[in-house]
Amino acid sequence: MINIDKIRADFKMLDIQEDGKSNLYFDSACMSLRPNSVLEAMNDYYTKYNACAGRSAHKLGDKVTKKIKETRGLVAKFINANTEEEIIFTKNTTESINLLANSFIFKKDDVVLLSDKEHNSNLIPWLLLRDRIGIKVNIFSTKDDGDFDLEEFERMTKGIKLVCFAYTSNLDGTSVPAKDIIKISHKNNALVFLDCAQTVSHRKIDVQDLDVDFLAFSGHKVLGPTGTGIFYGKYKLLENLKPFIVGGNTVLYSTYTDYKFLPIPERFEAGLLDYAGIIGLGEAIKYISNLSFEEINSHELMLNSYITEELSKFPQIKIIGSYDPKKRGSIINFYIENKDMHQIATMLDNMANIAIRSGQHCVHSYFNNRNIKNGARISLSFYNTKEEVEKLVDNLKKIMKII
Amino acid sequence: MPCIIALIIFSILGIFSASHRALAKEAFSCVLNRVTFRPCNIGFKEKIKGKVLSNLINRSVFLTRVVNKHYEILSWIFFILMVGSTVWVFNGMYNYYVYGSCNGLNESGFCAFDPSGENNKTSDGEECGINRPSPENVTLTDVDLSIFPKIDTSSKDEVVFVGCYGCKYTREVYPEISKLLEKKKFNYIFAHFPVKKDSEFLSNIGYCVYKDYEEDFWKLNDYLFTAPLDYILNKNNTIEILEKFDFDIQKVMLCSEDNDTKTFVERQRGEIEKMNIYGTPTIFINKKPFIGPKPYRVYKSAINKFIFF
Repeated sequence: MINIDKIRADFKMLDIQEDGKSNLYFDSACMSLRPNSVLEAMNDYYTKYNACAGRSAHKLGDKVTKKIKETRGLVAKFINANTEEEIIFTKNTTESINLLANSFIFKKDDVVLLSDKEHNSNLIPWLLLRDRIGIKVNIFSTKDDGDFDLEEFERMTKGIKLVCFAYTSNLDGTSVPAKDIIKISHKNNALVFLDCAQTVSHRKIDVQDLDVDFLAFSGHKVLGPTGTGIFYGKYKLLENLKPFIVGGNTVLYSTYTDYKFLPIPERFEAGLLDYAGIIGLGEAIKYISNLSFEEINSHELMLNSYITEELSKFPQIKIIGSYDPKKRGSIINFYIENKDMHQIATMLDNMANIAIRSGQHCVHSYFNNRNIKNGARISLSFYNTKEEVEKLVDNLKKIMKII
Repeated sequence: MPCIIALIIFSILGIFSASHRALAKEAFSCVLNRVTFRPCNIGFKEKIKGKVLSNLINRSVFLTRVVNKHYEILSWIFFILMVGSTVWVFNGMYNYYVYGSCNGLNESGFCAFDPSGENNKTSDGEECGINRPSPENVTLTDVDLSIFPKIDTSSKDEVVFVGCYGCKYTREVYPEISKLLEKKKFNYIFAHFPVKKDSEFLSNIGYCVYKDYEEDFWKLNDYLFTAPLDYILNKNNTIEILEKFDFDIQKVMLCSEDNDTKTFVERQRGEIEKMNIYGTPTIFINKKPFIGPKPYRVYKSAINKFIFF
């Protein structure tokens, strides 16, 4: 069982009070909090060995190079990549997806398959490619109860070049049966990319076990700093990608007429990287690796079940996705017909410093398709407590009295 | 539209409060986003509504429910009230500038800029049996002004100054009227109206001096308004005062005791009573009465015809 007091002591922000009230943070799907060790590691970089990695011959530069390599190794181990060269540092998941979209060699009429719940970051790059080079973008409809129709999926994967799905949806928290999807896709000669932004801090990812071809996640959702992201690809597949953003640190040499790219992963990491961020991400990975995902899941499910049960008492409240908390991981996204959920979020914030997210959560396509104005999303993490959740529910009940 | 309304409201409130300044900035961004066809990050209307409701909900759930249900209508009501009160405030400021009172000419209601009502105070005429008619009845209609001391400049503008040498507020305003005389061109009539009996004798003296020494009368007038009050109200000092101006003392003193003089001064008083004034100073500028000691700008505005309504 999670030692919640010990964990909370590691997160300085949980001690901060505003107007005499603690901040109750339920927006971890947007941005997780970060433990003190991450902040200290970043601070150490800036105060003790601030230098460039990989290009400066001095000791400070060496130290940064080692730290970056260490993080790459930690991430590789964290997702069980075959080699650490398969780990590419990016700015965030969005940049990782854009890297894939712009590096993968598509030709006209190649088909990319997306689900109908994709974040704009996993929709717009493909629509842009459709407009630019004429690929086709097919949409796979998911079920509202969170079940995944594998037969329908198999039917749709025929002739597909690349399947790009969010492993866990930021909209309703449901996860797709990734292993089955990948198996079916490979059977039909389709490659698979998984957007794991909402997955990494809630369940163990094993890229070898999944046999996934490409994968991405953001540091800021897995206790790491903002501006850090990971793009993973099987080494052989990465070799076939055309570098997207190029320049400094991507080439072995250049003349006025020629150049030679560095090996993978450097060829995809143009310019000076966010060293402090990457070092911080390394600490974040270390921190979460010391926790048990089983315990994290069980804790989050307990909190989610309580909230779901309480919200279900109000017939006006509609939960997006399944009503079964087991299928929704750490997310409860709800709406009330004809009500603007920004109002609910603002009220919770003003009444008790409760931070939840309201809006269309960058999945405009889903809301527009169903004529839902917006949703209020409560996203949990292992550092949330039952008391916090009770306060949230109490305040929500109060608000429901005036709706 | 809500963004624009919020921008107006919060900009005004922002003059006085930093927290409203922040909201005004947010409303401005919202307007800007609308203009450039970008949606607000978060509905500004909902954000404000949420803030209002969350402040209310801990006080009264019933009230919060009512506000939530009728938020749109209530917003419009408050907006209209705010526009109305803003217009009212600006009107008050305008009134204060041109009349010396927020409430309008000679209105004595509370005015934030003149909380003690100094600009409307008068020395009372009740002692002399004068009733307190309303300011609307104060008039120059049917009043024969030709019997009062006058400086004729052939101007189209006319100032009639009704005051008394012994009255606090008349003495207070006198420097402003003198300044006006120096700077502006207008026909000037002075009517001495002794609201207290102790300065009545100066009406007779004034009449006699004006009869024989028209030009020097204004010097005496100036002296009587500026010399110490106790000194000028003491009859024993009259001769000494007159000596300062080389008047024929005997002639003036005899004149002041003359029955014809008393009759004439009574006639002057009768004409003043026709004006329905209830205290001094009362200054008519182009027939419009300004009751009480107003700031100089008020008289200047009236002469400059700055008053629009």
